Amino acid sequence: MPKNVDQSIRELMSIILNIDAARIDDGTSMDNTPGWDSANHINLILALEDEFSISFEVSEFELMVSYCDLVQVVEAKL
Amino acid sequence: MTEFNLKTASQGDMAAQAEQRALISASLAVGGVPAVIQDARCLLQEQPSFLNFRFIRQLVTSLPPEDTVLKPWRVALLSSFTIEFIHDSLIAYGFTNGLRIEIYQPGFGLIRQELLNPTSALYQFMPNVTILAIEGEDWLPEIYTTFMDTNPPGQGLGDITTRFQQEIGSLVRTFRNTSTAPLLVHNMAQPRLKRAGVADLSLSDGQSRFVADLNRSLCQVAAEVIDVHLVDYAALVNYFGVRHWYDSRMRLYAKAPIASSMLGHLSQEYMRYFRALSGLNKKCLVVDLDNTLWGGIVGEDGIKGIQLGPNYPGNAFVEFQRVIMDLYRRGVLLAVASKNNPADVDAVFLSHPFMMLRKAHFSALEIHWNPKSDSLKRIATQLNLGLEHMVFADDNPAECDQVRRALPMVTVIQLPRQPEHFAEALCTEGLFDTLGLSAEDLHRGQLYQQRAQAETVRSASDNLEDYYRNLDMQLSLAPVDSASRARTAQLTQKTNQFNLTTIRYGEAELSQRMANPDWLLVTVGVRDRFGDNGIVGVMMAKVGEERLHIDTFLLSCRVIGRTVETAMLAFLFEAAQALGLKALCGRVVPSDKNMPARDLFEKHGFSKLHEDPGGTTSWEFDLAGEPVRCPAWFRMAV
Repeated sequence: MPKNVDQSIRELMSIILNIDAARIDDGTSMDNTPGWDSANHINLILALEDEFSISFEVSEFELMVSYCDLVQVVEAKL
Repeated sequence: MTEFNLKTASQGDMAAQAEQRALISASLAVGGVPAVIQDARCLLQEQPSFLNFRFIRQLVTSLPPEDTVLKPWRVALLSSFTIEFIHDSLIAYGFTNGLRIEIYQPGFGLIRQELLNPTSALYQFMPNVTILAIEGEDWLPEIYTTFMDTNPPGQGLGDITTRFQQEIGSLVRTFRNTSTAPLLVHNMAQPRLKRAGVADLSLSDGQSRFVADLNRSLCQVAAEVIDVHLVDYAALVNYFGVRHWYDSRMRLYAKAPIASSMLGHLSQEYMRYFRALSGLNKKCLVVDLDNTLWGGIVGEDGIKGIQLGPNYPGNAFVEFQRVIMDLYRRGVLLAVASKNNPADVDAVFLSHPFMMLRKAHFSALEIHWNPKSDSLKRIATQLNLGLEHMVFADDNPAECDQVRRALPMVTVIQLPRQPEHFAEALCTEGLFDTLGLSAEDLHRGQLYQQRAQAETVRSASDNLEDYYRNLDMQLSLAPVDSASRARTAQLTQKTNQFNLTTIRYGEAELSQRMANPDWLLVTVGVRDRFGDNGIVGVMMAKVGEERLHIDTFLLSCRVIGRTVETAMLAFLFEAAQALGLKALCGRVVPSDKNMPARDLFEKHGFSKLHEDPGGTTSWEFDLAGEPVRCPAWFRMAV
């Protein structure tokens, strides 16, 4: 199950950020990814909530700035 | 479509969605945008998810600029809050409705500046439609948020409603003086929180009362300025419920009050207006019979065995018939496509006590054992409608699928399992919505019956001249005035077949032309033996130095093939001669649908001047020559 979460998150990010899913790895973050701006930061949050039927609190938003962060916070809620 | 985005997140679902998206991408690579539109429509109906909206939006952005299937549609969105999260679903639903949407949206603090400055980016964008989306609490916090600050609450607010009406009226009028684009204005939702609790309704100046007053004044502004339409935002919020509609977290964090999962619904609401404004609203509903208009199968259960009556589930089907009847009364054409023996069906129409719909309500009936796609094509031909204006509703998934594949431009509604949900499935998207109900709309059903009678006359006539004479037609040619302006605009937006240039006009533009003495604007009304068809044609021509230039020349498909166009040209001839002009000229701009009109000038003896690489031809008739005369079988109304 966790393996599929990785894959789903990579596919989700590739659609939202308009980048190739294969290029997303443990190092991918808001700092080094063009297109991962503050608007898409919120879009990623909304997309994850919608896709996984989970809910984030505002205090969690700033913890979600890299691929690893996203996998971590999503898995914690599943 | 389910009301709320209830989803059980399972890896299986996600994988299935990913697969569907991949199929759509692959299908696009092969070509055929109409089929992709159909697939995208199914995808969004099944799963109107954030990802799917974003995916379709990106697909639209990737389409080549030369694509001609979609109609370009520029939307200016002026909002008092952060609304950019709506872009994905707006563009996605635009796509499934045949529109290629481009959005201009300034920052939310800038509404007044954009509207009041005649050279603002808003006006330079030249929108096809402008939307004013203002939340009540942003515009009038005194009524929504700080209501309890006056003592007693509400009383100190005085003439706040009048001032609001003046300000909105002034902004809307300034917009209208600068742009002819239609304007959609949100009305105000009730406050999320009643500050005085249940006592609010007992107050002489409670919040509820104020909001009702504000909305009444908005109605008035919309009635006073041309082409301004209210979006019933209050009803939309009510329908989905405040608890689902708003997201306090995002409202406070990003000034984005509308919940992400609700934005798709707001986009769909806008689609109702966009379809009506761009002439893409649906005009004909084709229905199945068994398990659609009644429960059961008449060929097997017999007329006494089908379910239609005062008890469940029969009463659900009665309700559904009523809703279909309402569409008929609004001017939607009805047709049947059913695999049945005609005799079995006739019995139900004639003698079932709970059948609300009768044969006379249907403009076409295809009852046989051939594929439904054949029926739809025959109905389209018989009613002279494009397939893209038709909606097909059936309970059978296999039939729905067959039609989707064979005729991707038809909108298919697969009815849900329970008949109590049929009415909502049919009406939820507002596919048939128009911006108003004209006299023509209200009589359309009867007009088609008249036309069918006229056709009977044609087949009975020995030759065409006898046929024309037998129709006993009377023409009314009159200048476009404030009473006929709306109908004129509607005809330019909806007429596709007998339309020389297919230029679409809104009421505001027509109003400007009406005030310009260089323009000749004429409505054409046709009355025949069977009744009054109302206004069915439009001519618009501009007086030039020595020539009268025809800009618009169109005729409703209802009256094609009766030489009305010859009478119209004769009128323009006389007008040009009376003005002392030397020639009458015009262009033909070929489109997918205007084959019937393309040889108009050639048939009437005009000379072809020029043909450009796009196929547009220009024609001229020297008025010194033998004029076009009005055929003898017409009477002219004075």
